[in-house]
Amino acid sequence: MSLSSASPLPRINAGRSALWLLAGLTMLFLLAPIAVIIVVSFNDTTLFSFPPSRWSLRWYHALWESRAWREAGWFSLWLASLVALASLLIGVPAAYGLAKGRFPGRRLAEALLISPMVVPVIVLALGLYMLFSKLGLIGTPTSLFLAHTLLALPVVIVIVGAAFRRLDGSIELAARSCGASFPRAFWHIVLPAIRPALISAGAFAFLTSFDEVVLTLFLGGPRTTTLPKKIWESVKFELDPSLTAVSTILIIVSIAALLLVELARRSRIQRQAKEAL
Amino acid sequence: MTLVAASAVPSVKAARAWRARPGLMIAGALAFCAIVYLLPMLSLFGWAFQGQGSSGASLAQLSRLIGDDTYHYAFFTTFKIAAITTLICALIGYPYAYLMATTGPRLAMLLTAAVMIPFWTSVLARSLAWMILLGRKGVVNEWLTGLGLLERPAALLFNSIGVQIGMVHVLLPFMVLPIWSILSRLDPGLPRAARSLGASPAAAFIHVTLPLSLPGLAAGATLVFMFAIGFYITPALLGGPNDLTIASLIEMVVRDLLDWPFGAMLSLALLGLVALVFACGAAFAGAGRIAGMEGR
Repeated sequence: MSLSSASPLPRINAGRSALWLLAGLTMLFLLAPIAVIIVVSFNDTTLFSFPPSRWSLRWYHALWESRAWREAGWFSLWLASLVALASLLIGVPAAYGLAKGRFPGRRLAEALLISPMVVPVIVLALGLYMLFSKLGLIGTPTSLFLAHTLLALPVVIVIVGAAFRRLDGSIELAARSCGASFPRAFWHIVLPAIRPALISAGAFAFLTSFDEVVLTLFLGGPRTTTLPKKIWESVKFELDPSLTAVSTILIIVSIAALLLVELARRSRIQRQAKEAL
Repeated sequence: MTLVAASAVPSVKAARAWRARPGLMIAGALAFCAIVYLLPMLSLFGWAFQGQGSSGASLAQLSRLIGDDTYHYAFFTTFKIAAITTLICALIGYPYAYLMATTGPRLAMLLTAAVMIPFWTSVLARSLAWMILLGRKGVVNEWLTGLGLLERPAALLFNSIGVQIGMVHVLLPFMVLPIWSILSRLDPGLPRAARSLGASPAAAFIHVTLPLSLPGLAAGATLVFMFAIGFYITPALLGGPNDLTIASLIEMVVRDLLDWPFGAMLSLALLGLVALVFACGAAFAGAGRIAGMEGR
């Protein structure tokens, strides 16, 4: 999806200001909760007062001091990185096969591989719980790794598949006719050509795992505490101000990932512009 | 393209292998999904229709589901929440997407960022933010009473108002993005032609732009409704005891009552509803338009 493809539809001048007022209020609605939680996390009191009367980093300090939060943070980071890697490893070839291949059952395979996105997570969670308890995997990091990869895989297939469909097939054919083997052409020509999509897919696969709650609650145990799981347990128990600090960290990770994706997209557009000159 | 491929690759055998390979490349993902996705779905069927003791299949769980009003109530609540969420998202999302598609690139970028940042931000963090904002001593109540708009703090949290606010916040991007996608690709000549033939701006919008963008609206409404009926986190955190949704019911039946067979039956019912909504939406908007927008 390109961000800046505004088309000159005729403007409804009469209602234009009303439209902008509505859009402004919608933006406020969309962004206010995120802004408020970030600001409140720098509060010095135990109350969630906004705006804070005194500013401090005490809740971040409390997080850092807490071994449980630190361990949850590292575990989340590791898990999400492995999930991103694994979903790229199986998702990128699959996206290529679906975009370029012509074989019976292609559409069915595509529907199957994308459908985990639409199935309610609670349904996936229960099904996986039944399977994993039979295999003795409940409460192990493996169960979360498999379950999160299942959610991240369609994200990778949709994003990378769209890039493969846009890709001009003749560059690959050129490499092949110059004698490159298929793996060589794929690795040196095809993959570099879609690098921005690979970065987006990796970033969004990472976030899918990093923010996941429901599967983690169902399939996890004491050994598999991620940041969202620990937040969930604290929210249910009592509202602790350090939760605003963890939430801020989750939000910053998301924004960083989005910036990374946007930078990758722009670098491609700039390169294309240079090549056109 | 197949012809070009065949002529570029030396031998016929190699050409065949080249065409077959993309099919082989999906093998890894298919094997993974067979084990981690199809097998769990099959075990749901197994548990839901399992007979007493060792005697084959039974419809006992299904008749429990059909026979009890408590469960009907959860389905009704879920549908009510999903319908209101979809309606509000359409009312707010359409004008927003229209502006995104018709304004200059810089403002469009700003409007897009305001949708994409919450879209990719943890639902849990956002629900927590709403808990802070909407509580009795929360920011919204403090400000509304401070401005004299309210005499006493209003109950905005742990009831259906809280659930609706949280749900619209989570699902609005799923409405905005498909509508924006279709509006930004619309031929600007069409409404312009209507204008030059004497239509007022409002008439050009109602008779030309709006009908052409309806597939986007249908795709957005399908996505929002579909995700709303299966949503767990937001109703569980922002809702009260009267806001028991199907997803919360499943969690309760499985975790508290340890009733796996009935939990499995509820899950299948929910899955069936999601499939039904998808099929209705696909009939209006086309499956591809809906699937292309499954950003998350």
